[in-house]
Amino acid sequence: MASNHSVSGEEAKRHKLEGPQKHIVAFVLSLALTIIAFAAVAAGEINTTFTYIILVVMALIQVFVQLAFWMHMKDRGHLFPIICILSGVFVVFAMVIMAVYWVWW
Amino acid sequence: MATHAAHAHAHAHTHTVKRYKGLMDWLTTVDHKKIGILYLLAGFIFFLVGGLEAILIRIQLMKPMNDFVAADTFNELLTMHGTTMIFLAAMPMLFALMNAVIPLQIGARDVAFPFLNALGFWTFFFGGLLLNISWFTGTVPDAGWTSYVPLAGPTYNGTHGVDYYVIGLQIAGIGTLLGGINFMATIINMRAPGMSFMRMPMFTWAIFITSVLIVFAFPVLTVGLVAIMFDRLFQANFFEVGGGGNGVLWEHIFWVFGHPEVYILILPAFGVISEVVATFARKRLFGYSSMVFAIVLIAFLGFMVWAHHMFTTGLGPVANALFSIATMLIAVPTGVKIFNWLFTLWGGSIKFTTANLFAVGFIPTFVLGGVTGVMLASAPADYQYHDSYFVVAHFHYVIVGGLILGIFAGLHYWWPKMFGRMLNEGLGKLTFWTFFTGFHLTFFVQHFLGLLGMPRRVWTYLPNQGFETMNLISSIGAFLMGIGTIVFVVNVIIAWAKPRNAAADAWEDGRTLEWSIPSPPPEYNFKQIPLVRGLDAWWKEKMDGKTAMTPAEPLGPIHMPSPSILPLIMSIGLFIAGFGFMYQNHWVAAGGILVTFVCMFLRSVYDDHGFHIDPEEEEVQA
Amino acid sequence: MSAHQHVEGHLPHEPEKATLEGRNKVLGFWIFLGAEVVLFGTLFSAFIALRHQVLDGPHPSHLFELPMVFAATMILLTSSLMSVFAVQAMHRNKMKALIGWLFVTIILGLAFLGLEIYEFNTYVSEGHKMNTSAFSSSFYTLVGFHGAHVAFGVLWISLLIAQLFKKGLTVVTAPKIYLSMIYWHFIDVVWVFIFTVVYLMGKVG
Repeated sequence: MASNHSVSGEEAKRHKLEGPQKHIVAFVLSLALTIIAFAAVAAGEINTTFTYIILVVMALIQVFVQLAFWMHMKDRGHLFPIICILSGVFVVFAMVIMAVYWVWW
Repeated sequence: MATHAAHAHAHAHTHTVKRYKGLMDWLTTVDHKKIGILYLLAGFIFFLVGGLEAILIRIQLMKPMNDFVAADTFNELLTMHGTTMIFLAAMPMLFALMNAVIPLQIGARDVAFPFLNALGFWTFFFGGLLLNISWFTGTVPDAGWTSYVPLAGPTYNGTHGVDYYVIGLQIAGIGTLLGGINFMATIINMRAPGMSFMRMPMFTWAIFITSVLIVFAFPVLTVGLVAIMFDRLFQANFFEVGGGGNGVLWEHIFWVFGHPEVYILILPAFGVISEVVATFARKRLFGYSSMVFAIVLIAFLGFMVWAHHMFTTGLGPVANALFSIATMLIAVPTGVKIFNWLFTLWGGSIKFTTANLFAVGFIPTFVLGGVTGVMLASAPADYQYHDSYFVVAHFHYVIVGGLILGIFAGLHYWWPKMFGRMLNEGLGKLTFWTFFTGFHLTFFVQHFLGLLGMPRRVWTYLPNQGFETMNLISSIGAFLMGIGTIVFVVNVIIAWAKPRNAAADAWEDGRTLEWSIPSPPPEYNFKQIPLVRGLDAWWKEKMDGKTAMTPAEPLGPIHMPSPSILPLIMSIGLFIAGFGFMYQNHWVAAGGILVTFVCMFLRSVYDDHGFHIDPEEEEVQA
Repeated sequence: MSAHQHVEGHLPHEPEKATLEGRNKVLGFWIFLGAEVVLFGTLFSAFIALRHQVLDGPHPSHLFELPMVFAATMILLTSSLMSVFAVQAMHRNKMKALIGWLFVTIILGLAFLGLEIYEFNTYVSEGHKMNTSAFSSSFYTLVGFHGAHVAFGVLWISLLIAQLFKKGLTVVTAPKIYLSMIYWHFIDVVWVFIFTVVYLMGKVG
């Protein structure tokens, strides 16, 4: 049915359809970052602050990878998506500071 | 399969869509102009309700030791007055202006998501209705519009009062969020050819930034309301100190939303004033790009100042100093705007129409509110002002003196565009002078009441404390504001009876695109999408001796979205579910949610092919 | 809207952005995701503020079991990759592959949900209930909101599969598929923060 109309090889080249390679690399990278984070906790012998730093850094890298590749934010025409997500992050950043420093004293 | 679907599309022209008349037309409309009128009608009714509550409050405070209303009724009136005015009156009236004007100003045929637009209106309406039904069930919210815990928590507020607040606002908030997303997408994607961002009218800029604020502030309120609802209904412990919760967390969450909310209210008013002042000074708006920059900066800073509502909470000197400075910084872009309006007026050939009177009245009034704002921003001084009538005076100067004067200016200005009829200028000026005088009588003295130490939100006061005269003056002012509002209603009714004969360029000095099309505009707004050649697109064409905009597309059939009853039914579903949650009837709650989900299902499954209007044919028929 | 120019049945390159309606939907959805960032951010801040208020309930370091969380993470991560493949199949106009990938995505989503329900059940039996402490309330609200998003995603994608069978891949259905996939990735991104902040940091203490 629909495969009758599938894009021919030539057309695919013209539009530069991206292959799965980059996404598989992103997946493996996410996997590695996740494993590092879990391993850091499972090992349990590193001090707490240092573990926190590892966890946050791993999470941020992984989120960056996923946003850029899987959610296509690295592609052209994504200026407004980037602005939207960053604005949200800005508000959340303020709120996390609030939660850490200004709720209990 | 793809062929099959495309085949269906080829028939879209012949697709007959059922078109309704009368009441059903209004219940099913997805036309932004009609939705704007619905917002105005509903918002104005809530404005009258909130105004009535204000009058009752002022009657109670007219003399010392008064017992016109009982103390608990006073708490209810005060809570409902604030909540109604902000969420159900001010915001919908802003949405009315947004809906009526924005697509016209950017040269579009409708908003990006007409269906969501209708859904936004109906969820707001049923949320507001739910909140106000509390008056008839006898348990009215009474913890203030901020609903601070523990007062609003289950321990100290065991009745359903605050549940109405939580669930009503939650439902209305969905509508507001949808509106914000819709207008952001509309302004980014639907501008006419040639209208770059820096050629957008100031009102469009203001609404764009307002929508951004809505999108990033309202989810915070959503979570806050969910948390307090879980505390109240499912014995959660977010704010219950006994369970390890923290009341200050609610204050933070509320004001992280609440402060941007204040700018959500005032920025559109800034936009209206910019349009009105430029039109009636018959000059280009002074310092357009600095105006844009100022509005963006205000929005940005607006997210970093929330804790200035909490100076006396005890956050410590570092936080207080930080938020103090950030708050004072906002005075800079605001000052830029004030001076730009003055310079726009400077040397213009000014026409003092009603709209312009409201705009010109707005400027000094808002400056007063802004100056007291900077006073309150000073943390040590705030310890003195906090919780006194000084604060009440301040925020009424900003909200009534800023926003409501702005809305009145906008309504008088765009009335001919919305309804095709001019409002009476004599009655309009009477509205202005009674409302404006009444406003200053009511709230100017409250600054001094606050400085003398009269606490806000208190039912009554003792004699011989120096409060009597000023409270009496304040109450008289409130009546005068009420009279001003009634004059406006009379004006509207009189205009209603007159023929629809407003000119396209009703004020003759229109600058922006909405004045280039008939009043009221046809269903499709623009017969041909206009080509924009500069800032103040319509003014530019007029100055070049043209009588119409240059079209950017050939004449042809215009595609329109179909009307739909689903938004109404979806909102009714949420309304029913709200009661189910409140009274812990899980069947009713599930039933209501199910109604909403079924509507979503139907909307997804049945494609809206819309229908086509041929402007030429319509004209022949007419 | 209108697919009139595509009557031939050939889908344009990136069919999700071929019409103004499609472009509006994509942009509007990103704005919505910006709002979702703030929504989850607020839930996270509430959790961060309250996470040490355990009271008499079980402490997170005893409560959470890393193997189960790791399994859930792997499931969601893989399903996110599957949805990438779905969009690629859509861009190549391969219906069968598209439906296949979507199907795998929702199966993995259901597995994740099953695991979460099992997990919550275990916790409740260990005395970690909604009303136990501020920690438990904020935990269930945050993780539950995420779970509800997964559940909604599963329902949504199932409905879209049904629509693909009925309507085929058109400029009307393509934006829906694209958005549901972006939504699914977003859920995975939120989960990255949940396993980091809630589970791993909870385990560390």
